[in-house]
Amino acid sequence: MMQPSLIPAPDPNPLPAPYWVFAVLLVTTFILHIVAMNFMLGGGVMALVAKWRSKDREIGNRVFIDLAKKLPVLLPATITLGIAPLLFVQVLYGQFFYTSSVLMAWPWLLVLVCLTVAYYGFYYASFKGGQRPGRAGAVILGSIVLVFLIGFMLSNNITLSQTPQIWGRKYFADPAGWNLNLTDPSLFPRYLHFMVAALALGGLLVVFMALANWKRDNAYARQLLQFGGKGFMYATMAQVVEGVLFLVSLPSGLRLLFLGNDPVATMLFLIGILGSIASIVLMAEALRKEDIRMAAYHVPAIIAVVIVCMATMRDMLRNAYLAPYFRPGDLAVRTQWTVFPVFLGVFAAGAIFWFVMIVRYRKHAADHGQLRASKASEAAG
Amino acid sequence: MRSARASPRSAITASRGRGIRMNYPVWDVAFGAGLLIAIVAIVHVFISHFAVGGGLFLVVTEIKARRSQDAALLDWLKQHTRFFVLVTVVLGVVTGVGIWFTIGLIAPTATSDLIHIYVWGWAIEWVFFFIEITAALFYMYGWDKLEARVHQWYGWVYFGAAYMSLVVINGIITFMLTSGSWVKNHRFWMGFFNPTYFPSLLLRSAIAFALAGLYALITASVQKDAALKARIVRWSALWIVPSMAVMPLFGWWYIRRVPAAVWASARGPMPTGTEFAGLTVVFLAVTFALALLSLARPGRIPLAFSVVVLLAALGAMGSFEFVRESIRDPYVIENYLYANSIYVNPAPGDGGFDMSAVQNAGILQTARWIDVRTLNQDNQAVAGREIFRVDCESCHTANAYRGLKHYIELRQWDENDIQAMLGGLDLMHNGVMPPFAGTDAERGALAAYLYSIAPIAPGASLPADGKTVFERKCSMCHEDKPSDPLFENLPKDPQTMAAALQSLSSLFPLMPDLQLNDRERTMLAQWVNTQRGAQTSAALEGGN
Repeated sequence: MMQPSLIPAPDPNPLPAPYWVFAVLLVTTFILHIVAMNFMLGGGVMALVAKWRSKDREIGNRVFIDLAKKLPVLLPATITLGIAPLLFVQVLYGQFFYTSSVLMAWPWLLVLVCLTVAYYGFYYASFKGGQRPGRAGAVILGSIVLVFLIGFMLSNNITLSQTPQIWGRKYFADPAGWNLNLTDPSLFPRYLHFMVAALALGGLLVVFMALANWKRDNAYARQLLQFGGKGFMYATMAQVVEGVLFLVSLPSGLRLLFLGNDPVATMLFLIGILGSIASIVLMAEALRKEDIRMAAYHVPAIIAVVIVCMATMRDMLRNAYLAPYFRPGDLAVRTQWTVFPVFLGVFAAGAIFWFVMIVRYRKHAADHGQLRASKASEAAG
Repeated sequence: MRSARASPRSAITASRGRGIRMNYPVWDVAFGAGLLIAIVAIVHVFISHFAVGGGLFLVVTEIKARRSQDAALLDWLKQHTRFFVLVTVVLGVVTGVGIWFTIGLIAPTATSDLIHIYVWGWAIEWVFFFIEITAALFYMYGWDKLEARVHQWYGWVYFGAAYMSLVVINGIITFMLTSGSWVKNHRFWMGFFNPTYFPSLLLRSAIAFALAGLYALITASVQKDAALKARIVRWSALWIVPSMAVMPLFGWWYIRRVPAAVWASARGPMPTGTEFAGLTVVFLAVTFALALLSLARPGRIPLAFSVVVLLAALGAMGSFEFVRESIRDPYVIENYLYANSIYVNPAPGDGGFDMSAVQNAGILQTARWIDVRTLNQDNQAVAGREIFRVDCESCHTANAYRGLKHYIELRQWDENDIQAMLGGLDLMHNGVMPPFAGTDAERGALAAYLYSIAPIAPGASLPADGKTVFERKCSMCHEDKPSDPLFENLPKDPQTMAAALQSLSSLFPLMPDLQLNDRERTMLAQWVNTQRGAQTSAALEGGN
């Protein structure tokens, strides 16, 4: 008798909606999560660079504080937006995800500890950054290191979940959950690919800050544009090289999917590469002309397309890794028609309501600010 | 003869018997996996209920402060909002994700089931959660930036969304305890609006509003202005006292809706359930008394006092969660999945991990993550350890949290006793454990392993009286009370009784095949009759 396969059987409860619904939700919510994460992590790095590498100390500190104040909002956004893909990945790939998590249980739980400490660090820097900029810088550095560590754990878990052929060796050598996936040649290139992307989007975040300040404080905004735009360009250049390294590190069968074997994958890959290069060129042009519209609208539009392509490729790559063992499209389906529409309704209403909350806040915060400013000037006058 | 089934992998790790939990690999947590879940979960629920009740507290207190033009109260509330966000949005959110992480590591099958059955529930809850977190941040950052009306609007949005997330999660949590008709029809809403849904919702709402007041004592106690402090403490009491006053009512309703068989394990001889039910009451009483005491000198309560009150409340909340978890045993999902990840009944796609399939095929042949597949005279304890990890480790450890070494040593069981007792696991403690999942030969191997961790020391004392015999051999299933079948059904004549005890399974077919020697049987028979007398007189005095 053969040993039964180590890969756990999928859950006996059928999918409560067709596979493609979950695939779309997984990729969509993952994109939202990764964008928030990139802004948070990249914004944090840009804050530190501004603080410690800036020639003009005053401006550097100002950028630092402006960015530091955003971090306690961007981190919960990252977590909250991360919960949805975490849910959907368990729906489609639970038997792979739970197993890889068990193999690296302690490092995986460490994510929570890092998250808590990093989070409080961001709050500290945001509340006290004005009074104690020196210490706030060190605290943000600490938090950023922890966030890098969290990303590393996530890369370990995802790569491990996609390579069931090595599970047995790892588990039976250490069932106490202290494994990582350091021997996977694609681990570090993959990890770096995500981290460098964060730096690029951190640059874009600064460009958006330039846009927000363009009319109010143009001199400051121009400096933000140059700083953020350069950050974006350098990181994206590095990313193009890094992306090629990542591609090379993949097993050849999977690599070739993006190099002609699969037309859709190849097309997405081409759009991704060409889009990235175009965004660098366009940003260089925007910086030269000091064209905020080009930097804050056109470049992000291209990058949005690139991110959608990359996230879709990531999903295709996972399915290709798992193809010898499992196809999520084969899972039994029994759509819960009494609940699924409720979700769609709540989701649509929630999304609209969320935008109302944002718009209302911006409008009233601005009105109220003007009101107070005019009262103050009346009082002064 | 060497088995043809030996695999290359077992050659790699042949020296160590490493195990599995059925479909998924088991994660070895030396101090007890169950304890880890309990810690993360209790911290989370203690914060998440505050996140719900505290939301209403913020906005209502703001309205009150503005109406009475109480600037000091408003200033405090601003600080309290920051405290609220730092506790709920950071620690509350991270521990919430933490529960997911932890149960996914320790009970992946159950987690996967809950995700697959309720993914749309979780997804709906996520929408509310997203709005909740956004509103919390706007409420905090909006204190100085928004006019009162708009600021309060965010407060109301926050509370509405937070309460809705309780409304959704409550359906899934209560489903685990009382799965209702879902097991038969697999309909989402049937499981969601299960028998304990509404009492649990009301009970948890009361807990949430009480916690809103209790947490407020913390930030109140650090205020320097005694008059302000007194106002906050009195205002907090208005949240704590009525909420706690209605808790017994909702608690009673909740208990009523839990099927008697489920609740029995918390009332019966099972120590954990009974002890924690008692502890819950004690902690609630202490919290209530301290909250009232704070009203005696409301302007002078120190931080230490507030911390003690909150710790008492944490004790109550933690004990309540322990009761809920322990009465849920032997299931993770009532009538659907046992605590050790084995399905109660066969179902399509269950991968052969249902109880009857495992009992027929044997666990060493069914489990995936295992490298001991054979059972012979030489590997009894090694194979037994594998079986222990698969069948028992979701709740027990060998020698730490719920350690079996301690249980067995206390009762001085020999290997035969253990093997017999394992045959009646599902009867122990009013049915708090699943039946043994494996073949008879595997039961023998498990007994060999358990005996190897808790061997009877040479020269250990034999039971000196019938009471000790009862405690060691009978008290797992029987209680010292007149209504227990042991006292009701055994013959009155000591000699007839002793003879009847020779074959327990002929007394009652489900009894384990435990062998008592002549001396033990005689002592037990004498003691049973003595107790019958004692029980009668105790009953006459109104005791027991």
